[in-house]
Amino acid sequence: MPPSTAGEPLTEVPVRRIDVRGLDIAYRRRGEGPTLLYMHGLGLSQRWLALYERLSRSCDVVVPDHPGFGDSASAEWMRDFDDLVLHYAELADLLGLGTFHLVGHSFGGWLAAEFAAFYPDRVRSLTLVTPLGLRVPGEAPADLFRMGAEARLELMFNGRAGAFLGPSSDEERLERLLQDYADLTGFGRFAWNPRYDIRLDRRLGRVTCPALVIGAEEDRVLPASHIARYAELLPNARVAVVADTGTPTGHAIVAEEPEAVAARIEAMVGGQ
Amino acid sequence: MHELEFYAIIDRTYPWFPPADDRDSIGIDLSNGVYDPDLGQEVLEQVVDGAQLAERLGYDGTLIFEQHNTPLALFGNALTGAAWLAARTESIQIGAVGPMINAYLSPVRLAEEIALVDALSGGRLTVGFPLGIGAQYHSMGVMHPVHARARFHEAVALLHRIWTEDGPFAWEGDFFHIPYVNVWPKPRQQPHPPVFIPAAGSRETIELAAKYRFTYQAILTPLPVLLRNCQLFRDLCEENGYESDRRQIAAVLGVHTAESDQQAREEIERHALWGAQNIVRFQFHESFPPGHVSLSSLRAMMSGGYRSSDPSQVTWDEMVAGRTGLIAGSPETVKQRLADITGEMGAGRAIVAPEFTIPTWLQRKSMTMFAEEVMPAFRPPGAKAVWQRQPRAAYQTASERVGREPRRAGHPVVSVPGQGRVDLY
Repeated sequence: MPPSTAGEPLTEVPVRRIDVRGLDIAYRRRGEGPTLLYMHGLGLSQRWLALYERLSRSCDVVVPDHPGFGDSASAEWMRDFDDLVLHYAELADLLGLGTFHLVGHSFGGWLAAEFAAFYPDRVRSLTLVTPLGLRVPGEAPADLFRMGAEARLELMFNGRAGAFLGPSSDEERLERLLQDYADLTGFGRFAWNPRYDIRLDRRLGRVTCPALVIGAEEDRVLPASHIARYAELLPNARVAVVADTGTPTGHAIVAEEPEAVAARIEAMVGGQ
Repeated sequence: MHELEFYAIIDRTYPWFPPADDRDSIGIDLSNGVYDPDLGQEVLEQVVDGAQLAERLGYDGTLIFEQHNTPLALFGNALTGAAWLAARTESIQIGAVGPMINAYLSPVRLAEEIALVDALSGGRLTVGFPLGIGAQYHSMGVMHPVHARARFHEAVALLHRIWTEDGPFAWEGDFFHIPYVNVWPKPRQQPHPPVFIPAAGSRETIELAAKYRFTYQAILTPLPVLLRNCQLFRDLCEENGYESDRRQIAAVLGVHTAESDQQAREEIERHALWGAQNIVRFQFHESFPPGHVSLSSLRAMMSGGYRSSDPSQVTWDEMVAGRTGLIAGSPETVKQRLADITGEMGAGRAIVAPEFTIPTWLQRKSMTMFAEEVMPAFRPPGAKAVWQRQPRAAYQTASERVGREPRRAGHPVVSVPGQGRVDLY
């Protein structure tokens, strides 16, 4: 098991909690340097990934669990991305993040794109890793609602999820099933229908900061056309495909290729 | 023996599709390319025949479900089906269980349909509001499982207000903002038709049924859980300030009656197994789209309640032992089991379903034996159906209409040149 993809819990980063006007939010934070707010993807809450650890060498990395995901409370009143974007604006204010570099993966990439469209002045750079959120006719992402948790992870990891998750007991599997259902509900709240935001097509024109859209070699969740489309809509964007020397990379590159993804993000933060 | 009202489920399955085998479910993406209109016509006509038969046999009601995206039953709109069944029958109560409220953009539209079918049927509609099984959320475009419960509850509250308060009134809800709610016509049955709320065990749904004095239609749950839910329902009725009527609990049972227990098994075992292996074949994620159940309900279900084991793996012995609510046997066996189960449940209504795929001659034999040799034991002397004992809501003759002295709130007048305002009649 290569250390970069290992499921070993990096538990030394403690969970912190913050009250966002009555909403109990869990987050993890480590490092010094420019602030980097990271928005996680489906199936990757409650974790301190090797990617974050790597980024924390040069950045102040802040990774909240979205409302309803992981260790964060769910907000029944949330209806739409507007609510979620406003929540993150408040969270950033409470944590005193000022302006920051914004990174989002998968569902978190969609959310980061929405946030940047609403608050372009707060975002110093935007990195979207295999981001959902756009409509590319005839090129719908995989239907993540029509598979079990394990199948979904296997799709994201191109069949290598076992190495990421590690072994588990029956009891852990039940708890994981329940947690996955909670996270899927958090995801579904915003992304059930429609499964894209056609308004992003226009709104992304507001995001003039440097942007990078990172794709994988063989993304089984998100067709490559979405990466190209994001780059087309963002006024100041480049595309990068993170490759592996061995097997082709998949949707979960943030977990599987922390070094390569971190290097790209660091380059964005460093203004290169 | 306690009294029971009997509703005959008359739905039929369209069975002409390839075996399920390794397909995830038949509820979402079994292509409708397998549908043949001639074979479909046959199935639909069998349902109409079933309603007419149920009436002749003296069942209190007949009942169809609403299904979407599946060959399980072909009534994608139960109220449209109910309108047709009402036109083809005279007296029997027509159950439509029923419109999935969340598939409607506005509850007002639904209130109109209910009132119209009830009025046209002479006040014979019973309407049920299922939340909709998980698989159906993928295929309607307007249903959102995360918001489903909240929207459903608000819609039921609005329907109840439509039925119990004159319009126009403004509805200012979380999901619906309707400045002028003022539905015409009103239902024939006042203040509203009987309402069934199907519930597999969700406390929120049972609470809803208790709150509005609706009927809790208890479905697809292992018996011990079912009995707990029935007691919960009665307790909740008390919390709402009234004692529940037995008829507010309806047991949903698969029933097949034959000459002997062995004969019953021989006649339907394969059909029962086929149904289990094909019709209720839903994987976890198909049954529970995100937010469709609360985490606490899900935890309870996964540790012993509804769907804690794969329903497609059920055996005959498990089915007749109570796991799926199947009663099959001689009239004596059926009578005894029915008395036991509805007695334990405290149910005053039994919704009895055949296997949806058995030949119609066999369905006719079973329904006839049940009507002649089982139903009378659960009825007052004379063994008449409810619709024979109680007058229906609608008048039946012009004379009766006049005799009722209907209230005319105003009289139409017309301005005629040279005559001024004169009465129209």
